[in-house]
Amino acid sequence: MKHEHYDLVIVGTGFASSFFLKKYLSKASADKKVLVLEKGHFYPQAERLKIKKGLSSAYQKYEQPWEDHILNLNKNKEWPFTTAYGGSSNCWWGCTPRFMPNDFKMKSVYGIAQDWPVSYEELDPYYYEAEEIMSVSGPEGTPFPRKGKYPLPPHAFTLVDKILHKKYGNQYISQPGARASQATRGRNGCLSFSTCETCPVNAKFTIENSEIGVYQDKRVKLLYGAQVYQLEIVNHLVKEVLFEQDGKPQSAKGEVVVLGANPFFNTNILLNSGDKNPLTGKGFGEQLGMQVLIYLDNMTNAGGSNWVNANGYMLYDGDHRKDFAACLIEANNAPYDIRLERGKHLNVASFRMVFEDLPLLSNYITTSADKFVPEIHFQDRSEYTLKAVANMKEKLPGILSCLPVEELKYLPPASHEGHIIGGARMSQDIRNGVVDKHMIHHQYRNLFVLGASAFTTFGPSNPTLTLSAMSLFAADKSF
Amino acid sequence: MCVIPPSLYFIAPGTKQYAVLAIEKELHYLKLAPGSVINYVNDYFDRTGNDTVSNLKWKMTYYLRLNYEKSDRLRDLIKYFLLSTDFFINKTDESKVVNYLGLYSPYLSPVPNPYSFVIYPKEDIKDV
Repeated sequence: MKHEHYDLVIVGTGFASSFFLKKYLSKASADKKVLVLEKGHFYPQAERLKIKKGLSSAYQKYEQPWEDHILNLNKNKEWPFTTAYGGSSNCWWGCTPRFMPNDFKMKSVYGIAQDWPVSYEELDPYYYEAEEIMSVSGPEGTPFPRKGKYPLPPHAFTLVDKILHKKYGNQYISQPGARASQATRGRNGCLSFSTCETCPVNAKFTIENSEIGVYQDKRVKLLYGAQVYQLEIVNHLVKEVLFEQDGKPQSAKGEVVVLGANPFFNTNILLNSGDKNPLTGKGFGEQLGMQVLIYLDNMTNAGGSNWVNANGYMLYDGDHRKDFAACLIEANNAPYDIRLERGKHLNVASFRMVFEDLPLLSNYITTSADKFVPEIHFQDRSEYTLKAVANMKEKLPGILSCLPVEELKYLPPASHEGHIIGGARMSQDIRNGVVDKHMIHHQYRNLFVLGASAFTTFGPSNPTLTLSAMSLFAADKSF
Repeated sequence: MCVIPPSLYFIAPGTKQYAVLAIEKELHYLKLAPGSVINYVNDYFDRTGNDTVSNLKWKMTYYLRLNYEKSDRLRDLIKYFLLSTDFFINKTDESKVVNYLGLYSPYLSPVPNPYSFVIYPKEDIKDV
């Protein structure tokens, strides 16, 4: 085994780790030593594109299907993620709405689940910073408190969007997104191909094209193919990180250790390390999404410059959250829902209805016989969420009454929303969670557990911007 | 559940021939360039598989006289034909001849998102 000592050891190179590291390096002295352990490899976007075009690439050997990395006991539920440099920034679709302030106060405002120990107001400056780093495109005038312009102008509306925006004002806005509305540093402007998992024109923000610079910093050493499976903990402090590289066991000592992998692997590492917190691995999940096709009479939904062109908040926040879940509307045009009736080919608006869910204890993550492979138990959606689906079907015709609707077609719930949330939830005290407001483990005080793992509840908004802002916040307040 | 007689597979007409007829029937109002449909069908079946099971499913669609409203298989066939032509580039103009441009792929073909600003620029979308 190799024994080396670092000031900071970080697991993973996705959003949570990279944004944390950026803030840490901006505050750390020149003599600090940082080790970053990445399970995957560097697999450039240009090489991923070659595969999509049917060409060969020497990097294809680094393609790692998510199914190979977890033991997923519910085959009807999918959990896609990327194992590689940049983590799921490679496969995300670039949606970056902020959370609503009440998303952080579900217990005190609505009597549901738990409050987060951090507030919207505390995260606000870090939201701006994360939006700047990602060069987010977005509108002025949002349903969440935000002043001034986004770094890039908003994407263009379709006629359907314009009508809904006119009726609902800032409850229906051009979606803030990390799909550039015009060329910006390191990226091209979005051409609306709607295949964002591998952007054909490199318009989507990724860690690779971010120019974030952290992995080129002289204080940082990055190891690829380093599979972390356990922490060596002595007297409630993490002393060593155990990992394998090329089949050989290795370890690294760190003053401070950061788990920045996704919730499955953060949990697996914690449980392998003997974490006895009864909530570790418990109550993970994600939002429920379902598509509604809105057939329009004598109106096309043409135009628009994005995959998710707009967000609707008409079913999001309000007293109904005492009884049933919030729903965020995504107006999108992928996959291309084309009608085949003569003269009506583009007379369709396609809305993704995204519902929050609750962290049910019946959904949990455990270890398996293979120390690298977490076992995923996902069984239930909450009644809170299912009731919101029924309410949406009742309310949507009225919400869309300003449009010439011919028919609404409700498609079955999607197999995933591309998010994995919870498993090391944030709380004020150790009885109600695993980490504190700075995502420091309640019991092991030199250990951060970052990312969506730490979310206390699962609001309907996409998690990436918030988890990135939380990483900036945690590093800023802790060093 | 429909029971297909074992002999059906052997006596049914060619799947590709059926697919061509289905597209031409549904899109009868378009001026389809000669060879466009058969070239598309050849490419489509090359990519999506032309095995026994696939053949049998297509023949079920044919013999049950399903239209695209009842068959996702047929709907996809026609939808991807349109996406593989210049129909959307020409803003769904029925007066223009529809030419096959190659099997649709967002990474390879010249056809953009049919809804997008690439075809319908911001200035073309009326204000309300």
